[in-house]
Amino acid sequence: MKKLNRRTAAAIIAAAILAVILAIYIGGALLPAAAIDADFSQKGLPPSPGHIFGTDFLGRDMFVRTIKGLSLSLTVGAVASAISAVIALAVGLTAALGRGIVDHAVNWFIDVFMSVPHTVLIILISVALSRGAAGMLIGVAVTHWVSLARIIRGEVLQIRSAQYIAAARGFGKSRLWIARRHVLPHLLPQFFVGLILLFPHAIMHESGLTFLGFGLPPERPAIGIILAESMRYISSGAIWLAIFPGVSLVILVLLIDKLGSLVRYLLEPREAQM
Amino acid sequence: MKKSSLKTIIAALLAAALLCALAAACGGDAASNTDPSATPTPTDSVGKKDEVIIGFPGIPSGFDPLVTAGHGSYVPLLFSTLVALDADVNVIPDLAESYEVSEDALTYTFKLRSDARFTDGEPVKVSDVLFSLQTIMETASEIDLSVIDSVAAGAEGDTVIITLKHPQSTFILTMSGIGIAPEHLYGAGFAQSPVGSGPYKLAQYDVDQQMILEANEGYYGKAPGIRRAVFINMSGEDQQLIAARSGQVDITLTSATIAAVNTIDGYNLLVEKTVDNMGIVMPTIPAGSGTSSLGNPMGNDVTCDVNLRKAIAYAIDRERLCDEALSGYAAPAYSENDGMPWWNPESVIEMDVDYAISLLEAAGWTDTDGDGIRDKDGIKASVPVYYFAGDSARQAVAMSAANQVKENIGVELLVEGMGEGDIMAIMVAQPMILAWGSANPITSYYLYHSSSVGRDDWYNPESFASAAVDGYLEAALGAKTIEDAIPFWQKAQWDGETGTSMRGECPYIFLVNKDHLYFRRDGLNTGDQMIHAHGASWTLVANLKDWIWE
Repeated sequence: MKKLNRRTAAAIIAAAILAVILAIYIGGALLPAAAIDADFSQKGLPPSPGHIFGTDFLGRDMFVRTIKGLSLSLTVGAVASAISAVIALAVGLTAALGRGIVDHAVNWFIDVFMSVPHTVLIILISVALSRGAAGMLIGVAVTHWVSLARIIRGEVLQIRSAQYIAAARGFGKSRLWIARRHVLPHLLPQFFVGLILLFPHAIMHESGLTFLGFGLPPERPAIGIILAESMRYISSGAIWLAIFPGVSLVILVLLIDKLGSLVRYLLEPREAQM
Repeated sequence: MKKSSLKTIIAALLAAALLCALAAACGGDAASNTDPSATPTPTDSVGKKDEVIIGFPGIPSGFDPLVTAGHGSYVPLLFSTLVALDADVNVIPDLAESYEVSEDALTYTFKLRSDARFTDGEPVKVSDVLFSLQTIMETASEIDLSVIDSVAAGAEGDTVIITLKHPQSTFILTMSGIGIAPEHLYGAGFAQSPVGSGPYKLAQYDVDQQMILEANEGYYGKAPGIRRAVFINMSGEDQQLIAARSGQVDITLTSATIAAVNTIDGYNLLVEKTVDNMGIVMPTIPAGSGTSSLGNPMGNDVTCDVNLRKAIAYAIDRERLCDEALSGYAAPAYSENDGMPWWNPESVIEMDVDYAISLLEAAGWTDTDGDGIRDKDGIKASVPVYYFAGDSARQAVAMSAANQVKENIGVELLVEGMGEGDIMAIMVAQPMILAWGSANPITSYYLYHSSSVGRDDWYNPESFASAAVDGYLEAALGAKTIEDAIPFWQKAQWDGETGTSMRGECPYIFLVNKDHLYFRRDGLNTGDQMIHAHGASWTLVANLKDWIWE
């Protein structure tokens, strides 16, 4: 059998990871809410073939809760990182194209933003917007664009000063043509990779914030809620309530991170070493 | 990229390692309790036979008896009250060695004992009592003394005469909760360094952390067996468990869930019966019935049907609820005051699913679309039931009740957690699970009297109003003595035709009286406790002066 080249292998792995993530998302969305109804005949059971993640003190299956929680995290992560990436794109382009005083102003603003620890900022924003899903989404979205905005700004500046752009101008190509044919193709990969890499951050912040009680409301099956609840019972020995959801979250985040690296490699093989 | 992904992996590994370490530590601890620090060493209890360390949720932010009152507070520990209550809720003397009530029940004359002194050495004088009562009457505190017309010193110099505007049967119970403050010291800062004449004095106080009480050497009553009590702020169930397991506390609150799966060497589980009831309160008026004082729309089109409310009440097996939700550490509840002298035993109902279904059918609630949930005129028999987010006991009780109600009669209760503030805004329109329990029947008046409707406090969010019940409540409150009032309190619950109980108008679906549970070190005797009211912390220590080490 012919050996797969590295690009093909990367594409296959990326597709597999994407399939897993999609499966978690769809699984969580399709599972009926009744699947996590309290069933007191099954309360406090350690992991077993019937309940592979065990059950909690209301008899709810922890595997179903975890999948639902991860699914919710993915939704929140997707929305928050998409908003964040769009903000980053807008700010990055403004800085790069505006030059001069606009560039200085935007950079100064980014510096100020970065100087505030963003967990604190998210909590403040979330509380100011009376907590809940919307407050948290906006909190995560408006605090995560900063580094991507810098990257986009740098990228645009670099492309603008490239010799092939000067050459294109010399050939009399229009600004639009240059933007479409030269700038965009270079910018898009950065943008998409940036977007994917924002994902794990957004998910971790969602869970962290919810864990601390500033995020999603307690009746939502969020991982942060599950972990916060589990803390009460760890000292009673019910460690499965924390371990499995916690590890699942870490694995999901790692998978998305890996997916980001693979996409980057596939789009820009010269810059990204596998 | 390479670097950042490596960083992520390392971070993840560290997190995983941390989790594993946690698992190992906790797993071992739970399984065998072999950790040497987990077994209390003998020296822990030697040499402190008159000291107790209490894991205590809710160290107060101050100690002002003219703002806070009641048996379930710090008042009986630090301050004298004119009269007190014994374990059987009888009124007994305290600062007043005796008292007389006039024939018309309008004049109360309290004769003060002569040997009472504040902990600064000053005697407790009639003027201190007058000052305390007048201060409460003049300031808008949570203590309601509006029934008092005047307070004055008697001619003998050692009596206080209180004249009421009209008779109030609960007045003497109210007085049993009001602490007397020293006129010469009361003022700014008093709440932080209180001086009283009760069995204990505040020796040390660290806000939100701990308070240390020491026996008042000049106390006029029996000298307390416990000379020093350290209260350590401890609110988490896990924190309380660990503190007991490591022998750091002599007694601490715990929960049914924790108590069901943990035993601790050297400790016993103290189970105190209570009137700390949980019930689902349901709006009794239809939607569109106006707004509350804060402008919240009142009423609910599903729960306004008394037949539906009663059907829910009759569809629940309360014993099963106690076992499922609270691991058996609870008793069925049928009213806000089960077992108290003013309770009506006829409020007890037996589970009767057939009766519940017949009520629903007669009222027109049938399952027309075959989804298992009844409906009527296009309205589904489905309502949310809110609980305070984080209160696992209320959550479990509500969920267990919801399961039964859905299964037995096809009515859906959707249990949802919410913050207190958010619940307050919708409680006049949606059901919620609430807890009550008081040593004073005046609570029933506030709970059900029509004057409490729409006030946006926790009383009567169901907008219950009944002329018959109002009449009984007013007669009970206006009776001359506690005894005279009892028949009226009872009739307010059920008079054979109507009432506030689940037999009657059923504004509340009472579910359970939850036991108050504590891990208590072997050898600590916590005395005869009065039946516990709502709140498990102050009710435990109200009789601290009777505790002893055996």
